[in-house]
Amino acid sequence: MMPYIVKIPQFEGPLDELLTLAQQGSVDLREIPLARIAEAYLAGTEHHVDLEEATEVLWMLAAMIEMKSRLLVPKPDIPAEPLPLEEDPSDLEARLEEKLQEYRAFKEVASALRALEDYQHRIFARPPGDDPNAVFLEGVTLDDLFRAFQQVLERAREEVGEITAEEVKVAERMEAILTQLAQHPQGVVFADLFAAAATKLQVIVTFLALLELIKNRRVRAQQPQTFAPIRVALAAP
Amino acid sequence: MTIPNGLVPHGDDLNLDELKRAAESILLVSGGPVTVDQLVEALGVAPQTVHALLWELQQDYAGRGIQIQVVAGGFHLCTRPELASYVQRFLRLDHREPLSQAALETLAIVAYRQPITRAEIEAVRGVRSDHIIERLLERHLIRDVGRKQALGRPILYATTEGFLRYFGLKDLADLPVLEGTDPRGALGGMTPTPHASPAEGSEAV
Repeated sequence: MMPYIVKIPQFEGPLDELLTLAQQGSVDLREIPLARIAEAYLAGTEHHVDLEEATEVLWMLAAMIEMKSRLLVPKPDIPAEPLPLEEDPSDLEARLEEKLQEYRAFKEVASALRALEDYQHRIFARPPGDDPNAVFLEGVTLDDLFRAFQQVLERAREEVGEITAEEVKVAERMEAILTQLAQHPQGVVFADLFAAAATKLQVIVTFLALLELIKNRRVRAQQPQTFAPIRVALAAP
Repeated sequence: MTIPNGLVPHGDDLNLDELKRAAESILLVSGGPVTVDQLVEALGVAPQTVHALLWELQQDYAGRGIQIQVVAGGFHLCTRPELASYVQRFLRLDHREPLSQAALETLAIVAYRQPITRAEIEAVRGVRSDHIIERLLERHLIRDVGRKQALGRPILYATTEGFLRYFGLKDLADLPVLEGTDPRGALGGMTPTPHASPAEGSEAV
Protein backbone atom coordinates (compact mmCIF):
# COMPACT_ATOMS: atom_id res chain seq x y z
CA MET A 1 0.00 0.00 0.00
CA MET A 2 1.29 3.44 -0.92
CA PRO A 3 1.69 5.71 2.10
CA TYR A 4 -0.48 8.80 2.10
CA ILE A 5 1.64 11.83 1.15
CA VAL A 6 1.03 15.07 3.00
CA LYS A 7 1.66 18.35 1.17
CA ILE A 8 1.44 21.41 3.35
CA PRO A 9 3.85 24.34 3.55
CA GLN A 10 5.25 23.08 6.87
CA PHE A 11 5.74 19.47 5.84
CA GLU A 12 5.87 17.36 2.75
CA GLY A 13 6.17 13.58 2.94
CA PRO A 14 4.42 10.41 4.09
CA LEU A 15 1.91 10.82 6.89
CA ASP A 16 3.45 8.06 9.00
CA GLU A 17 6.76 9.87 8.85
CA LEU A 18 5.06 12.99 10.19
CA LEU A 19 3.65 10.91 13.05
CA THR A 20 7.07 9.46 13.84
CA LEU A 21 8.68 12.92 13.80
CA ALA A 22 5.95 14.30 16.03
CA GLN A 23 6.44 11.43 18.46
CA GLN A 24 10.17 12.12 18.53
CA GLY A 25 9.50 15.78 19.12
CA SER A 26 11.34 16.72 15.91
CA VAL A 27 8.22 18.41 14.57
CA ASP A 28 6.16 20.84 16.63
CA LEU A 29 2.57 19.74 16.13
CA ARG A 30 1.38 23.22 17.16
CA GLU A 31 2.77 24.43 13.84
CA ILE A 32 1.04 21.72 11.81
CA PRO A 33 -2.52 22.42 10.64
CA LEU A 34 -3.94 18.91 11.12
CA ALA A 35 -7.38 20.09 10.03
CA ARG A 36 -5.98 21.02 6.62
CA ILE A 37 -4.37 17.61 6.23
CA ALA A 38 -7.66 15.95 7.13
CA GLU A 39 -9.60 18.18 4.73
CA ALA A 40 -7.18 17.51 1.89
CA TYR A 41 -7.40 13.78 2.51
CA LEU A 42 -11.20 13.81 2.68
CA ALA A 43 -11.37 15.86 -0.53
CA GLY A 44 -9.30 13.17 -2.21
CA THR A 45 -11.61 10.40 -1.01
CA GLU A 46 -14.53 11.90 -2.93
CA HIS A 47 -13.15 10.28 -6.07
CA HIS A 48 -11.78 7.10 -4.61
CA VAL A 49 -11.70 5.51 -1.18
CA ASP A 50 -9.28 2.81 -0.20
CA LEU A 51 -10.66 1.56 3.10
CA GLU A 52 -7.31 0.17 4.17
CA GLU A 53 -5.64 3.49 3.62
CA ALA A 54 -8.50 5.45 5.15
CA THR A 55 -8.29 3.35 8.31
CA GLU A 56 -4.60 4.00 8.69
CA VAL A 57 -4.78 7.70 7.78
CA LEU A 58 -7.66 8.36 10.19
CA TRP A 59 -5.90 6.43 12.91
CA MET A 60 -2.68 8.38 12.50
CA LEU A 61 -4.49 11.71 12.31
CA ALA A 62 -6.45 10.87 15.46
CA ALA A 63 -3.22 9.98 17.25
CA MET A 64 -1.68 13.31 16.25
CA ILE A 65 -4.81 15.26 17.20
CA GLU A 66 -4.66 13.70 20.63
CA MET A 67 -0.99 14.60 20.98
CA LYS A 68 -1.62 18.12 19.74
CA SER A 69 -4.55 18.67 22.08
CA ARG A 70 -2.30 17.79 25.00
CA LEU A 71 0.23 20.35 23.81
CA LEU A 72 -2.39 23.07 23.42
CA VAL A 73 -4.31 22.66 26.63
CA PRO A 74 -2.60 24.81 29.28
CA LYS A 75 -1.24 22.78 32.12
CA PRO A 76 -2.19 23.95 35.63
CA ASP A 77 0.91 25.19 37.39
CA ILE A 78 0.21 23.25 40.53
CA PRO A 79 -2.06 20.29 40.07
CA ALA A 80 -4.62 20.28 42.84
CA GLU A 81 -3.99 16.61 43.30
CA PRO A 82 -1.97 14.18 41.23
CA LEU A 83 -4.37 12.52 38.84
CA PRO A 84 -3.70 8.83 38.92
CA LEU A 85 -5.07 8.23 35.42
CA GLU A 86 -3.15 11.08 33.85
CA GLU A 87 -0.44 9.66 31.63
CA ASP A 88 2.92 11.10 31.06
CA PRO A 89 2.99 12.38 27.45
CA SER A 90 6.04 10.22 26.80
CA ASP A 91 4.08 7.21 28.07
CA LEU A 92 1.31 8.07 25.69
CA GLU A 93 3.69 8.43 22.78
CA ALA A 94 5.32 5.15 23.63
CA ARG A 95 1.92 3.56 23.81
CA LEU A 96 0.89 5.01 20.44
CA GLU A 97 4.08 3.81 18.88
CA GLU A 98 3.59 0.39 20.40
CA LYS A 99 0.04 0.24 19.10
CA LEU A 100 1.12 1.20 15.61
CA GLN A 101 3.87 -1.41 15.67
CA GLU A 102 1.48 -4.03 16.92
CA TYR A 103 -0.98 -3.20 14.17
CA ARG A 104 1.77 -3.42 11.54
CA ALA A 105 2.90 -6.76 12.96
CA PHE A 106 -0.59 -8.15 12.48
CA LYS A 107 -0.71 -6.77 8.95
CA GLU A 108 2.48 -8.67 8.24
CA VAL A 109 1.11 -11.88 9.67
CA ALA A 110 -2.04 -11.35 7.63
CA SER A 111 0.03 -11.35 4.45
CA ALA A 112 1.70 -14.60 5.55
CA LEU A 113 -1.75 -16.08 6.11
CA ARG A 114 -2.72 -14.79 2.64
CA ALA A 115 0.09 -16.90 1.16
CA LEU A 116 -1.16 -19.97 3.05
CA GLU A 117 -4.72 -19.30 1.90
CA ASP A 118 -3.54 -19.02 -1.68
CA TYR A 119 -1.72 -22.35 -1.40
CA GLN A 120 -4.71 -24.09 0.16
CA HIS A 121 -7.00 -22.68 -2.53
CA ARG A 122 -4.89 -24.43 -5.15
CA ILE A 123 -5.02 -27.90 -3.63
CA PHE A 124 -7.99 -30.24 -3.58
CA ALA A 125 -9.00 -33.29 -1.63
CA ARG A 126 -11.86 -35.73 -1.71
CA PRO A 127 -14.82 -33.89 -0.22
CA PRO A 128 -16.02 -35.24 3.10
CA GLY A 129 -18.88 -37.63 2.37
CA ASP A 130 -20.90 -40.36 3.99
CA ASP A 131 -21.60 -38.28 7.05
CA PRO A 132 -24.37 -40.33 8.69
CA ASN A 133 -26.26 -37.16 9.54
CA ALA A 134 -26.21 -35.84 6.00
CA VAL A 135 -27.04 -38.90 3.85
CA PHE A 136 -30.33 -37.45 2.76
CA LEU A 137 -28.60 -35.04 0.41
CA GLU A 138 -25.70 -37.14 -0.79
CA GLY A 139 -23.42 -35.11 -3.00
CA VAL A 140 -26.19 -32.63 -3.69
CA THR A 141 -25.73 -29.03 -2.72
CA LEU A 142 -28.55 -26.54 -2.56
CA ASP A 143 -27.03 -24.99 -5.68
CA ASP A 144 -27.33 -28.30 -7.53
CA LEU A 145 -30.99 -28.59 -6.57
CA PHE A 146 -31.57 -25.03 -7.62
CA ARG A 147 -29.89 -25.55 -10.97
CA ALA A 148 -32.06 -28.59 -11.62
CA PHE A 149 -35.08 -26.59 -10.56
CA GLN A 150 -34.20 -23.80 -12.96
CA GLN A 151 -33.92 -26.27 -15.82
CA VAL A 152 -37.40 -27.55 -15.11
CA LEU A 153 -38.66 -23.97 -14.81
CA GLU A 154 -37.15 -23.18 -18.22
CA ARG A 155 -39.14 -26.06 -19.64
CA ALA A 156 -42.30 -24.74 -18.00
CA ARG A 157 -41.64 -21.32 -19.49
CA GLU A 158 -41.66 -22.72 -23.00
CA GLU A 159 -45.29 -23.72 -22.62
CA VAL A 160 -47.20 -20.66 -23.75
CA GLY A 161 -50.83 -20.82 -22.94
CA GLU A 162 -53.71 -19.17 -21.28
CA ILE A 163 -53.30 -18.38 -17.64
CA THR A 164 -56.01 -20.00 -15.65
CA ALA A 165 -56.58 -19.75 -11.98
CA GLU A 166 -55.60 -22.98 -10.32
CA GLU A 167 -54.90 -24.28 -6.91
CA VAL A 168 -51.87 -26.40 -6.19
CA LYS A 169 -51.18 -27.43 -2.64
CA VAL A 170 -47.75 -28.35 -1.29
CA ALA A 171 -49.30 -31.10 0.86
CA GLU A 172 -50.95 -32.63 -2.24
CA ARG A 173 -47.72 -32.54 -4.20
CA MET A 174 -45.90 -34.18 -1.27
CA GLU A 175 -48.40 -37.05 -1.38
CA ALA A 176 -48.07 -37.27 -5.17
CA ILE A 177 -44.26 -37.45 -4.97
CA LEU A 178 -44.42 -40.17 -2.31
CA THR A 179 -46.87 -42.18 -4.46
CA GLN A 180 -44.69 -41.79 -7.52
CA LEU A 181 -41.54 -42.81 -5.61
CA ALA A 182 -43.29 -45.82 -4.06
CA GLN A 183 -43.72 -47.16 -7.59
CA HIS A 184 -40.00 -46.74 -8.30
CA PRO A 185 -37.96 -48.31 -5.52
CA GLN A 186 -34.76 -47.43 -7.37
CA GLY A 187 -35.76 -43.78 -7.38
CA VAL A 188 -36.45 -41.41 -10.24
CA VAL A 189 -34.44 -38.69 -11.95
CA PHE A 190 -35.14 -35.25 -10.51
CA ALA A 191 -36.73 -33.89 -13.70
CA ASP A 192 -39.19 -36.81 -13.83
CA LEU A 193 -40.91 -35.49 -10.73
CA PHE A 194 -42.22 -32.67 -12.84
CA ALA A 195 -44.88 -33.37 -15.44
CA ALA A 196 -43.75 -32.33 -18.91
CA ALA A 197 -46.64 -29.90 -19.24
CA ALA A 198 -46.43 -28.52 -15.72
CA THR A 199 -47.09 -24.84 -15.26
CA LYS A 200 -44.64 -22.63 -13.46
CA LEU A 201 -46.78 -22.67 -10.33
CA GLN A 202 -46.94 -26.47 -10.38
CA VAL A 203 -43.17 -26.65 -10.79
CA ILE A 204 -42.60 -24.30 -7.88
CA VAL A 205 -45.03 -26.08 -5.60
CA THR A 206 -43.55 -29.47 -6.51
CA PHE A 207 -40.07 -28.17 -5.74
CA LEU A 208 -41.25 -26.85 -2.37
CA ALA A 209 -42.89 -30.21 -1.68
CA LEU A 210 -39.64 -31.99 -2.50
CA LEU A 211 -37.61 -29.72 -0.20
CA GLU A 212 -40.12 -30.37 2.55
CA LEU A 213 -39.85 -34.14 2.07
CA ILE A 214 -36.04 -33.99 2.18
CA LYS A 215 -36.20 -31.90 5.32
CA ASN A 216 -38.61 -34.40 6.91
CA ARG A 217 -36.25 -37.21 5.87
CA ARG A 218 -39.01 -38.93 3.91
CA VAL A 219 -37.01 -38.91 0.67
CA ARG A 220 -33.34 -38.70 -0.19
CA ALA A 221 -31.65 -36.93 -3.06
CA GLN A 222 -28.40 -38.35 -4.38
CA GLN A 223 -25.92 -37.10 -6.92
CA PRO A 224 -23.22 -39.68 -7.68
CA GLN A 225 -20.92 -37.11 -9.27
CA THR A 226 -20.82 -33.37 -9.66
CA PHE A 227 -23.24 -32.36 -12.43
CA ALA A 228 -24.62 -35.89 -12.77
CA PRO A 229 -28.43 -36.07 -12.74
CA ILE A 230 -29.87 -35.93 -9.23
CA ARG A 231 -31.81 -39.05 -8.27
CA VAL A 232 -34.63 -38.88 -5.77
CA ALA A 233 -35.82 -41.95 -3.87
CA LEU A 234 -37.85 -42.86 -0.81
CA ALA A 235 -35.81 -42.85 2.35
CA ALA A 236 -35.37 -46.27 3.90
CA PRO A 237 -38.05 -46.63 6.59
CA MET B 1 14.01 -45.17 0.81
CA THR B 2 13.78 -47.46 3.78
CA ILE B 3 12.37 -46.88 7.18
CA PRO B 4 15.10 -45.63 9.50
CA ASN B 5 16.37 -48.22 11.97
CA GLY B 6 14.77 -48.24 15.35
CA LEU B 7 11.40 -47.01 14.19
CA VAL B 8 10.00 -50.49 13.72
CA PRO B 9 9.74 -52.78 16.73
CA HIS B 10 12.21 -55.66 16.73
CA GLY B 11 11.03 -59.05 15.63
CA ASP B 12 8.20 -57.40 13.70
CA ASP B 13 7.84 -59.49 10.59
CA LEU B 14 4.89 -57.53 9.25
CA ASN B 15 4.98 -56.73 5.62
CA LEU B 16 5.83 -53.03 5.81
CA ASP B 17 5.26 -52.51 2.12
CA GLU B 18 1.74 -53.85 2.45
CA LEU B 19 1.13 -51.62 5.50
CA LYS B 20 2.30 -48.61 3.53
CA ARG B 21 -0.10 -49.43 0.74
CA ALA B 22 -2.86 -50.02 3.31
CA ALA B 23 -2.21 -46.57 4.81
CA GLU B 24 -2.41 -45.10 1.33
CA SER B 25 -5.76 -46.76 0.66
CA ILE B 26 -7.15 -45.48 3.96
CA LEU B 27 -6.09 -41.91 3.14
CA LEU B 28 -7.78 -42.31 -0.25
CA VAL B 29 -11.18 -43.39 1.05
CA SER B 30 -11.27 -40.92 3.93
CA GLY B 31 -13.20 -37.75 3.34
CA GLY B 32 -10.96 -35.70 5.63
CA PRO B 33 -7.70 -35.75 7.55
CA VAL B 34 -6.93 -39.14 9.16
CA THR B 35 -5.33 -39.01 12.61
CA VAL B 36 -2.37 -41.09 13.76
CA ASP B 37 -4.67 -42.78 16.28
CA GLN B 38 -7.05 -43.86 13.53
CA LEU B 39 -4.18 -45.32 11.51
CA VAL B 40 -2.74 -47.03 14.59
CA GLU B 41 -6.09 -48.72 15.09
CA ALA B 42 -6.69 -49.61 11.45
CA LEU B 43 -3.19 -50.91 10.75
CA GLY B 44 -2.48 -52.39 14.16
CA VAL B 45 0.99 -50.88 14.43
CA ALA B 46 2.72 -48.43 16.77
CA PRO B 47 2.40 -44.66 16.22
CA GLN B 48 6.06 -44.31 15.25
CA THR B 49 5.55 -46.96 12.56
CA VAL B 50 2.59 -44.98 11.24
CA HIS B 51 4.78 -41.87 11.02
CA ALA B 52 7.50 -43.82 9.25
CA LEU B 53 5.04 -45.34 6.76
CA LEU B 54 3.53 -41.96 5.94
CA TRP B 55 6.93 -40.38 5.63
CA GLU B 56 7.94 -43.02 3.12
CA LEU B 57 4.65 -42.67 1.29
CA GLN B 58 5.22 -38.94 1.01
CA GLN B 59 8.67 -39.66 -0.51
CA ASP B 60 6.96 -41.94 -3.06
CA TYR B 61 4.71 -39.05 -4.08
CA ALA B 62 7.62 -36.84 -5.14
CA GLY B 63 7.01 -36.01 -8.78
CA ARG B 64 3.42 -37.31 -8.64
CA GLY B 65 0.09 -35.49 -8.75
CA ILE B 66 -0.81 -35.98 -5.13
CA GLN B 67 0.74 -35.31 -1.75
CA ILE B 68 0.05 -35.83 1.93
CA GLN B 69 -0.64 -32.72 3.94
CA VAL B 70 -0.50 -32.60 7.75
CA VAL B 71 -3.47 -30.50 8.64
CA ALA B 72 -5.56 -29.98 11.78
CA GLY B 73 -3.88 -32.91 13.52
CA GLY B 74 -4.35 -35.43 10.72
CA PHE B 75 -2.96 -36.63 7.40
CA HIS B 76 -4.82 -35.55 4.30
CA LEU B 77 -4.35 -36.86 0.79
CA CYS B 78 -4.68 -33.96 -1.62
CA THR B 79 -3.60 -32.63 -4.99
CA ARG B 80 -0.58 -30.47 -5.68
CA PRO B 81 -1.02 -26.71 -6.09
CA GLU B 82 0.69 -26.50 -9.48
CA LEU B 83 -2.06 -28.72 -10.94
CA ALA B 84 -4.87 -26.51 -9.68
CA SER B 85 -5.99 -25.30 -13.11
CA TYR B 86 -6.61 -28.86 -14.40
CA VAL B 87 -8.49 -29.93 -11.30
CA GLN B 88 -10.55 -26.77 -11.34
CA ARG B 89 -11.47 -27.29 -14.97
CA PHE B 90 -12.50 -30.88 -14.27
CA LEU B 91 -14.59 -29.93 -11.23
CA ARG B 92 -15.86 -26.84 -13.06
CA LEU B 93 -14.89 -24.76 -10.07
CA ASP B 94 -14.17 -21.08 -10.23
CA HIS B 95 -11.28 -19.60 -8.34
CA ARG B 96 -12.14 -19.74 -4.69
CA GLU B 97 -13.05 -16.43 -3.18
CA PRO B 98 -10.26 -15.24 -0.86
CA LEU B 99 -10.97 -13.56 2.47
CA SER B 100 -10.97 -9.77 2.49
CA GLN B 101 -7.89 -8.03 3.85
CA ALA B 102 -9.85 -6.80 6.87
CA ALA B 103 -11.17 -10.31 7.57
CA LEU B 104 -7.66 -11.74 7.29
CA GLU B 105 -6.24 -9.15 9.71
CA THR B 106 -9.02 -9.77 12.20
CA LEU B 107 -8.45 -13.50 11.92
CA ALA B 108 -4.72 -13.01 12.51
CA ILE B 109 -5.45 -11.06 15.70
CA VAL B 110 -7.83 -13.77 16.95
CA ALA B 111 -5.36 -16.52 16.04
CA TYR B 112 -2.45 -15.04 18.00
CA ARG B 113 -4.37 -13.52 20.89
CA GLN B 114 -7.06 -16.09 21.53
CA PRO B 115 -9.25 -16.15 23.49
CA ILE B 116 -10.04 -12.51 22.75
CA THR B 117 -13.03 -10.20 23.04
CA ARG B 118 -14.44 -7.99 20.33
CA ALA B 119 -13.30 -4.86 22.17
CA GLU B 120 -9.74 -6.22 22.34
CA ILE B 121 -9.77 -6.94 18.60
CA GLU B 122 -11.05 -3.44 17.92
CA ALA B 123 -8.37 -1.92 20.13
CA VAL B 124 -5.72 -3.41 17.85
CA ARG B 125 -7.46 -2.65 14.58
CA GLY B 126 -8.66 0.80 15.62
CA VAL B 127 -12.02 0.28 13.89
CA ARG B 128 -15.31 -1.38 14.65
CA SER B 129 -15.12 -5.05 13.76
CA ASP B 130 -18.51 -6.51 14.69
CA HIS B 131 -19.53 -7.13 11.10
CA ILE B 132 -16.28 -8.89 10.23
CA ILE B 133 -16.48 -11.01 13.38
CA GLU B 134 -20.01 -11.99 12.37
CA ARG B 135 -18.79 -13.10 8.94
CA LEU B 136 -15.91 -15.11 10.43
CA LEU B 137 -18.36 -16.85 12.77
CA GLU B 138 -20.63 -17.69 9.83
CA ARG B 139 -17.71 -19.24 7.97
CA HIS B 140 -16.80 -21.27 11.08
CA LEU B 141 -13.28 -19.84 11.11
CA ILE B 142 -13.74 -18.55 14.64
CA ARG B 143 -16.12 -19.55 17.42
CA ASP B 144 -17.47 -18.35 20.71
CA VAL B 145 -15.57 -20.06 23.55
CA GLY B 146 -17.17 -18.50 26.61
CA ARG B 147 -17.18 -15.20 28.39
CA LYS B 148 -14.47 -13.10 29.93
CA GLN B 149 -14.76 -12.53 33.66
CA ALA B 150 -14.78 -8.78 33.21
CA LEU B 151 -17.23 -5.91 33.17
CA GLY B 152 -20.17 -6.86 30.93
CA ARG B 153 -18.91 -10.43 30.60
CA PRO B 154 -17.95 -10.00 26.94
CA ILE B 155 -17.85 -13.02 24.60
CA LEU B 156 -14.43 -14.57 23.98
CA TYR B 157 -13.51 -15.76 20.48
CA ALA B 158 -11.02 -18.40 19.36
CA THR B 159 -10.13 -20.05 16.07
CA THR B 160 -11.67 -23.36 14.99
CA GLU B 161 -10.38 -26.57 13.46
CA GLY B 162 -11.83 -25.22 10.22
CA PHE B 163 -9.38 -22.32 10.55
CA LEU B 164 -6.46 -24.79 10.65
CA ARG B 165 -7.82 -26.61 7.60
CA TYR B 166 -8.46 -23.35 5.74
CA PHE B 167 -4.81 -22.34 6.06
CA GLY B 168 -3.37 -25.87 5.96
CA LEU B 169 -1.94 -25.60 9.48
CA LYS B 170 -1.05 -28.61 11.63
CA ASP B 171 -1.91 -26.77 14.86
CA LEU B 172 -1.70 -23.26 16.31
CA ALA B 173 2.03 -23.58 16.90
CA ASP B 174 2.31 -23.93 13.13
CA LEU B 175 1.23 -20.30 12.62
CA PRO B 176 3.74 -18.07 10.85
CA VAL B 177 6.15 -16.38 13.23
CA LEU B 178 5.91 -12.65 13.54
CA GLU B 179 8.80 -10.24 13.06
CA GLY B 180 9.52 -7.82 15.88
CA THR B 181 6.91 -7.76 18.60
CA ASP B 182 5.64 -11.16 19.54
CA PRO B 183 1.85 -11.13 19.45
CA ARG B 184 1.58 -14.54 21.07
CA GLY B 185 1.61 -13.09 24.55
CA ALA B 186 -1.72 -14.62 25.43
CA LEU B 187 -1.00 -18.07 24.06
CA GLY B 188 0.26 -19.23 27.42
CA GLY B 189 3.92 -19.78 26.74
CA MET B 190 3.33 -21.85 23.63
CA THR B 191 6.53 -22.00 21.67
CA PRO B 192 6.11 -21.39 17.97
CA THR B 193 7.68 -23.68 15.40
CA PRO B 194 9.78 -21.46 13.19
CA HIS B 195 9.32 -21.77 9.45
CA ALA B 196 11.60 -20.29 6.87
CA SER B 197 8.69 -19.27 4.70
CA PRO B 198 4.99 -19.41 5.45
CA ALA B 199 4.16 -21.20 2.19
CA GLU B 200 6.57 -23.99 3.00
CA GLY B 201 5.10 -24.38 6.43
CA SER B 202 1.96 -25.93 5.01
CA GLU B 203 3.60 -28.00 2.37
CA ALA B 204 3.72 -31.54 3.55
CA VAL B 205 4.74 -34.15 6.08
